[in-house]
Amino acid sequence: MKVKVDKTVLASVALHVFVLGWVMVSFSTKALEMPPEDSVSVDVISPDQLAKVMAGMKTGKKENPKPLVDKIAEAKPVDEAVGKITEKAPVVTETAPAPQPKVEEKPVEKKPDPPKVVEKPREEPKQESVEKKPDPVKPDPIAEAIKKEEKKPPPKPVQAAKPPEPPKPKVERTFDQSKIAALLDKRDPSRQAAAGETLNSNAALGLAKGAAANNSATWGSMFKEQVLRCWKKPYGGLEAARFEVEFNIKLKRDGSLEAMPVAVSSASSPYQRVFLESGLRAIIECSPYRLPPAFFTEWQAFIPVFDNRDQ
Amino acid sequence: MSREHKPTDATLRMDRRQLLSGLASTGLLLGSTRNSFGQARVPVTGGDVAPLPIAIPNFVAGTPGDAEVGAGVSQVITNNLKRSGLFAPIDPAAFIERIVDSDKAPQFQSWKQINAQALVTGRMTRQGDGRLKAEFRLWDVNTAQQLTGQQYFTSPEYWRRIAHIISDQIYERLTGEKGYFDSRVVFIDETGSKERRVKRLALMDQDGANVRYLTRGSDLVLTPRFSPSTQEITYMEFGQGDPRVYLFNIETGQREIVGNFPGMSFSPRFSPDGQRIIMSLQQGGNSNLFVMDLRSKSTTRLTDTPAIDTSPSYSPDGARICFESDRGGKPQIYVMPATGGGAQRISFGEGSYSTPVWSPRGDYIAFTKQGGGQFAIGIMKTDGSGERILTSGFHNEGPTFAPNGRVVMFFREPGGSGGPSLFTVDISGRNELRVPTPGFASDPAWSPLLS
Repeated sequence: MKVKVDKTVLASVALHVFVLGWVMVSFSTKALEMPPEDSVSVDVISPDQLAKVMAGMKTGKKENPKPLVDKIAEAKPVDEAVGKITEKAPVVTETAPAPQPKVEEKPVEKKPDPPKVVEKPREEPKQESVEKKPDPVKPDPIAEAIKKEEKKPPPKPVQAAKPPEPPKPKVERTFDQSKIAALLDKRDPSRQAAAGETLNSNAALGLAKGAAANNSATWGSMFKEQVLRCWKKPYGGLEAARFEVEFNIKLKRDGSLEAMPVAVSSASSPYQRVFLESGLRAIIECSPYRLPPAFFTEWQAFIPVFDNRDQ
Repeated sequence: MSREHKPTDATLRMDRRQLLSGLASTGLLLGSTRNSFGQARVPVTGGDVAPLPIAIPNFVAGTPGDAEVGAGVSQVITNNLKRSGLFAPIDPAAFIERIVDSDKAPQFQSWKQINAQALVTGRMTRQGDGRLKAEFRLWDVNTAQQLTGQQYFTSPEYWRRIAHIISDQIYERLTGEKGYFDSRVVFIDETGSKERRVKRLALMDQDGANVRYLTRGSDLVLTPRFSPSTQEITYMEFGQGDPRVYLFNIETGQREIVGNFPGMSFSPRFSPDGQRIIMSLQQGGNSNLFVMDLRSKSTTRLTDTPAIDTSPSYSPDGARICFESDRGGKPQIYVMPATGGGAQRISFGEGSYSTPVWSPRGDYIAFTKQGGGQFAIGIMKTDGSGERILTSGFHNEGPTFAPNGRVVMFFREPGGSGGPSLFTVDISGRNELRVPTPGFASDPAWSPLLS
């Protein structure tokens, strides 16, 4: 018996075999290629290390040990060293000098005036509060006096409540000055001069708020971390009174001790002596210390204070 | 902070020192970070209380025959210091330098390398007259200085005792407190099955060595207590009739009944001068505290209440007595003058308090506290404040202080078929350790320092 084979089925099978076979062969030979990427160096730092970031700028160079300082003044770091330095010196405009002499002259002359002006506001509020409308009704001497100077009689309550307005003649000038001040503020400098103790033209890498430069807490905590590893704190019993012992230590540039640490405090009990000795041992055993070289002047001589608190 | 700012003038420095200490004492300086010379003050706070790494190489043999005793002495010292929890003896396998002459300064660098902070060297030498000479030196490795050194002569069989004395010297120099290693413990040795337990009075060194049995175990003995000044022990023994308080001389083995009272006498303890014994006497359903002068045998009544007053213990100055009484309903701890009179209750916690014992330092009273199905060992200040539980469990009882008041020994019953054993714990609650005993052991009492 002849088996009837559908041609379409045959074709389908043949096609499937062909396609699958081709796929297998062609795919197996080709390896996936990845274009080589440029490597990017990434530093992972802890929040703790972030706190130790030096003062400087994001654009600064790592090699520069000190933050940028444009002028000598109280230390004041800047965020971005982009743009021109705008000195915030008093900007003297052409109009400004003119009013100044006037101000100097007028105070003397005008002094008699202010009292008058001051009187008015005191009386006016009374009137308004007692009787609101009728100014002219009352034949008050005060009212009369007010009438005489009728310049302001129907003052809006708001104005009346403003006594310091009086020196209006002068006001124009002071007004001018404040305007100038406002102008000056608006013309915010593109950046301010970075101030510091000594001039330095190269910016260091870091952040504007980096506290490391003048903060012993940073290298101090580095020292503490290291010395704690060697410190075998003696047990002082349940009720050891709190006390501290201080040492004078001098370090060399490589972090090793320049001389034996000297205890500043003296021990008054056997336990305090043991405690003091334990600190001394720790300082010696853990040297040399790895401390930021930039602040060598800070840590070349300092005073570690060992405290017997449990924490 | 330039170098020019550093203090160079001696008088200036003195002034500053005084100023600093003055300010520090008033707390003004605690927050400041710089001194007047611009030097930064770097606070080093925290840090764990850590055992001190100490290296104890074998003591050098003065003559060829002394090598064994030299090794033994350093072994005993190592064990003592390690058990105190305040020292971390370094494994001798790590030692780089071999000490050959204990008179010469060691090479500190090689001890520094293995992180030793202290080093003990010594020598044992047998003398021509048969005695043993022991020398030791304690070195501070980091400062390369000798902290202390001493030599002793003794008969060869007491070499352990010498090792304990040296341990005390090291302990005192490095912790600032007196040691407690040269002391002994009297306890009740228990052998046999639970139903037919044999209880013997036994004596050993505080580290569990040199166990001696003082009684044969035919009579039941309880609550042995050391005399603070003589080689005597007082304890309670159940003889044919009522339990009685006995006095036992360790040297001669002699024993005698303390006083001749009708009824039961129990829970004896010596006064700090060793001249008197304070104890409880039963009177009907009550018991009261009495003190007896050992020389004149005269007896004085201290309490007179319709309650059970027991477990008296003197303060180290002999002026006051703490004891247990159920006059308030439940057993609690009371304190009264040593001459009797108004007693003040000092324990107010949950549960009941018993077996109070005054620390030789005078600062604490240790007790057994019962409540909630648990027996705990604790300490409190002598006014009842600052209660602190050191350990708690199925059954803990009978605290006794080490001579320096820093360690408490007690006995613990695990429950079930086992028996009791002795433990020590620091008064901070740390470093709980089992004391090795030949069999089961209970009712420990720590002796004063022998020397």
